[in-house]
Amino acid sequence: MRRRLLVAGLAALPLLVLPLVAAAPLAAATDLAPRAAKFIEARGSDVIAIVNGPGSVEEKREKVAAILRDSVDVRGLAQFVLGRHWRTATEPQRREYLSLFEQVLVRNLSSRFGELTGVTFTVARNQMVSEEEAVVSTVVTRPNNPAVTLDWRVAEVGGKPKIVDVVAEGTSLRITQRSEYGAVVQRSGGMDGLLNAMRQQLAQLEQAAPQR
Amino acid sequence: MTYRLPVRYAAALGALALLAGCNTPPPASDPEARAEYFETNDPWEPTNRVIHFVNQGFDTLLLRPAAEAYRIFVPPPIRTAIGNVLDNLLLPRSAVYHLMQGNPKLAGENAARFVINTTLGVGGVFDLASDMGINGRFEDFGQNLAVWAGTTNGGPYMVLPLLGPSNLRDTFGRGVDLFTDPFAYILGPELRIARTAISAVDSREQLIEPLDALKASSIDYYAAIRSAYIQQRDRDIRNEGRIQRRFFNWDGEVRLGPQR
Repeated sequence: MRRRLLVAGLAALPLLVLPLVAAAPLAAATDLAPRAAKFIEARGSDVIAIVNGPGSVEEKREKVAAILRDSVDVRGLAQFVLGRHWRTATEPQRREYLSLFEQVLVRNLSSRFGELTGVTFTVARNQMVSEEEAVVSTVVTRPNNPAVTLDWRVAEVGGKPKIVDVVAEGTSLRITQRSEYGAVVQRSGGMDGLLNAMRQQLAQLEQAAPQR
Repeated sequence: MTYRLPVRYAAALGALALLAGCNTPPPASDPEARAEYFETNDPWEPTNRVIHFVNQGFDTLLLRPAAEAYRIFVPPPIRTAIGNVLDNLLLPRSAVYHLMQGNPKLAGENAARFVINTTLGVGGVFDLASDMGINGRFEDFGQNLAVWAGTTNGGPYMVLPLLGPSNLRDTFGRGVDLFTDPFAYILGPELRIARTAISAVDSREQLIEPLDALKASSIDYYAAIRSAYIQQRDRDIRNEGRIQRRFFNWDGEVRLGPQR
């Protein structure tokens, strides 16, 4: 307990000193957390409205995909997930990887549209977790299901807030996915093996798409 | 001769696991690969994958169907009551472990919770302590070891037969936990087996959706589970997870407590 207090104290120290040293940049940075909260609230409502609204699954998927492309730092996430293999990948490999990554992301979400029926969420709180990243906590409630806490990591990318990670009950999407992709690259003998696995996964997700 | 089948099966499995061998660290000339190797911390991966495969079979054929049957046939309020009783039994040991971790406040809360829910809550069925704002936080010996060692690194990752993901620290912790549970001495053998079985089904029932989702979205389920296990244990050790509360309604609602 005492050690945790000490750590908390040490962590708080820069917060006390920084405003004196550099008031202006800090003000700009602290502004991100509340903006990120508004951003998550707006985007979340948009997605839920589309999913629960009229239209075919394909139409909904297209609309949600557009929101994802706009609100998620897809390229940054894709690069983080590939880790050290990004640098050794060739240009065509990178291009195909980025394209597949985005499609898998969209398909993964659209395959779970059914679960989004009747979903409500509340934005619990927001805070800066590093100099560049804010975390917005949301509690997602579904009928007949335990509530789930989703923490959205948001960073400023190209002057706009973008989602860089989702943490579901303490499990980070980007960290889990990086561990997976690293394992696949290693076990399937390189980048081409990974691209193959991603193509297969995409085909499976497309097949499993709900027909409504 | 049918009785020999499991033995043969086990022997074959053991041989397979041995054949699978272990991963060796990449050469020093590739520092990034080396860093990844130590971060993943899974030198026994080939063996682990074999055990994971068998565990998955067991899960698909037995545990997950049992969890689904539990959800379908046992009404939500009764599941809540059962879950509360099971949770309550974990509190005395958790209180002692909190003390051993130098955390008297949480130890006191767990102990008070146990006393209140066991007496007023009729053997733990009703979670009155939560109404009073006294929350529990479960500890195991693996977490003690982590706190004493001052690191969340639990050594090489291990997949245990039937029990699933673990690591060197937590495997040892599980062994110690077998002897430090007071109810292991108080309850008779039938009750002990029933408790273990129902705990397993209850835990699996709560994980039906999360694990299905993880499986559906992963391209390497083994690696996804491994990463999720490490992240979840980190959170348990730092006492950052949210406290769950089961509610007595027909939705079988489980709500999360406030974040600490």
